[in-house]
Amino acid sequence: MSSVQPIVIEARGLHKVYGVKQAPIVALNDISFTVEEGSFVSLVGPSGCGKSTLLQMLAGLVPITTGEVLVDGVVLRQPAPEKISVMFQDATLLPWKRVAENVEFPLEIRGMRATERRDRAAEMLSLVGLADFAQRYPHELSGGMRQRVSIARALAPDPRIMLMDEPFGALDEQTRIKMGHELLRIWEKTRKTIFFITHSLTEALFLADVVLVMSHRPGQIVGTIKADLPRPRTYEIIGSAAFGVTRNRIWKLISQDDGDAGSEGMASL
Amino acid sequence: MRALRRGLIIVVILGAWEAVRRFNLVGPLLLASPTEIIDALVKSWFDYVIALRLTAFEIAVALAFAWTLGIATGTIAGLRPFLAATTGPLLSSLFAVPLISWYPLFMVWFGLGINSKIAYAIVSGFFPVAINTMNGIRAVDRQYFLLGKALGCSRRQIVFRILLPMAMPTIVSGLRIGTALVVIGVIVAEMLGSLGGIGYLISYYRSIYATPHVYLGILFALGVALVANGGLGLVERRFTHWRVMQIQQ
Repeated sequence: MSSVQPIVIEARGLHKVYGVKQAPIVALNDISFTVEEGSFVSLVGPSGCGKSTLLQMLAGLVPITTGEVLVDGVVLRQPAPEKISVMFQDATLLPWKRVAENVEFPLEIRGMRATERRDRAAEMLSLVGLADFAQRYPHELSGGMRQRVSIARALAPDPRIMLMDEPFGALDEQTRIKMGHELLRIWEKTRKTIFFITHSLTEALFLADVVLVMSHRPGQIVGTIKADLPRPRTYEIIGSAAFGVTRNRIWKLISQDDGDAGSEGMASL
Repeated sequence: MRALRRGLIIVVILGAWEAVRRFNLVGPLLLASPTEIIDALVKSWFDYVIALRLTAFEIAVALAFAWTLGIATGTIAGLRPFLAATTGPLLSSLFAVPLISWYPLFMVWFGLGINSKIAYAIVSGFFPVAINTMNGIRAVDRQYFLLGKALGCSRRQIVFRILLPMAMPTIVSGLRIGTALVVIGVIVAEMLGSLGGIGYLISYYRSIYATPHVYLGILFALGVALVANGGLGLVERRFTHWRVMQIQQ
C-alpha cells in the first residue's frame, strides 16, 4: 500500500565513535535504512543502545563520525527546522510561557507575524484537543497533556518529518496507551512522516508500519519488521495472534545477541 | 482590628523603649530613646539626606555592575562544561575568603572617594551572582539545548530565549545574596575609610559618642536595605512568577 511512496529520510552507513584513538567506543555501527514519505516508522531497542544518538543525527543535532543522512535526497548538515520537528522524552515546554505561547514559540523564532502565529497555535491546540487550555501554564497540566502541547508545538511549523525520542516514556501506562491512540489519530489526519523511538515492543508495533530493531554494543540495526496490521488500529489488536507473533519476532531479534532471551523477557513489554 | 492590634504592639514597644531611657535603666552611651533619635533627625536631617544620596548612588552603581558582570560571567562559565569545572571551585573558594581583609588594598588602588567603595561592593556582590548563574545554567536539562538547536535558534537565542529564563529562579536567589552583600559592602566600606555616606556618619558619630545619631544611621541603613530588597522583589515577580506558581501547586 505504501510501496510507491518516495523516500524522505535515508541513513547511509552511519557510525558514531566516541573517545580517543587508543580506546574508541563504537556507539553506532553501520546504520542504514530508509523511511518512506508519510509512513510511521518505529525504532525499538534496549536502553543505552544509541537510539537517541541516532535520532539526534537524523535531526542534524550531533555530528556523525562517518556516513550521512539524506533528507529528500539532500545531505543533512545542520538542523532543518522547516522540514523536521523533534520531540523529546520530556515535553520541554517553556514553563514561563502559557500553553498557546509555547506552541507559538517555533513560529516566533522563524519570525512569523503575531496574528498569524496565534491562529496557527489555536488550530494546532484544537487538533490535539487542548483548545480550552490555551491560556494555562504548563505546570497546570498533566504529563499527558503536556506531551500533547509538545505535539502541537512540533506540528505548528508544519514540518514534513516528526522525530520523536521516547515521547511517552515518562508517562504511566494508561496515559501512554491513550497517547498512542491520540498520536495515530493526529498522524492519520496530518500524514506526517513519523520516526518514533521507544523501548516498548508493544508500543513500537502498535504504532508503526515498519519497526526497526536495534541491538546494543555496538548499536546496530538487527532487523526490519513490516507490521502487516490493519489500520485504523485499536487497542484490541494488541491481543490478536498476528500481533503476538510479530512481537515475538522482534523480541528474538533484540535478544539474540544477549543470550538471555527467556520466557520472562517474552512477557515483558 | 488586626491593624489596630499591630499598632498597639508597636506603641507598647516604643513606650517601653522610651521608658527604659527616661528612667535611666540603661546609660545614654548604650541606648538612645525614640525621642532622642527623632531629635537627632530634626537637628541634622540635611546631613542625612546628603549621606543617603551618596550611599544610594554607590549602591545603585555597584548593583548594576555586580548583577551584570555576575550574570555574564556565570553564563559564559555555565555554557562551557570545562570552564565551569575549572572556574567553579575557584569562584567558590575566592568567595570564601573574607573579602573585608582586602579592603585596605581597595583604598590604595581606588582612593578614599566613592570609587573604592563601589569597587569593593561590586566584588562583594559579584561572586554569589556568578556562581548561582553558572549553576542555574548548568542545571537546565540538555533536552532544552537540543530543542533550541532543533528549532533553528541561534546560539544567542538559545541563551537569551531558553537557558537564561530557565535558570532565572536560581539566578534570582544569587541576586538576593549579591544584593545584600552589595548593601553591606557599601556601608562597611563607608565606615572603614571614607568621608561620606550613611556608614561614614555612623562611624563618625560613634567616635564622638553621639549615640542617638548612631541609631539614626542604623535606621537609615536598614531603610536602604529594605528598598534594595523591595526592588529585588519586583525583579523576582517579573521573572520567576511561574516558578512560584509551580511551588504553590
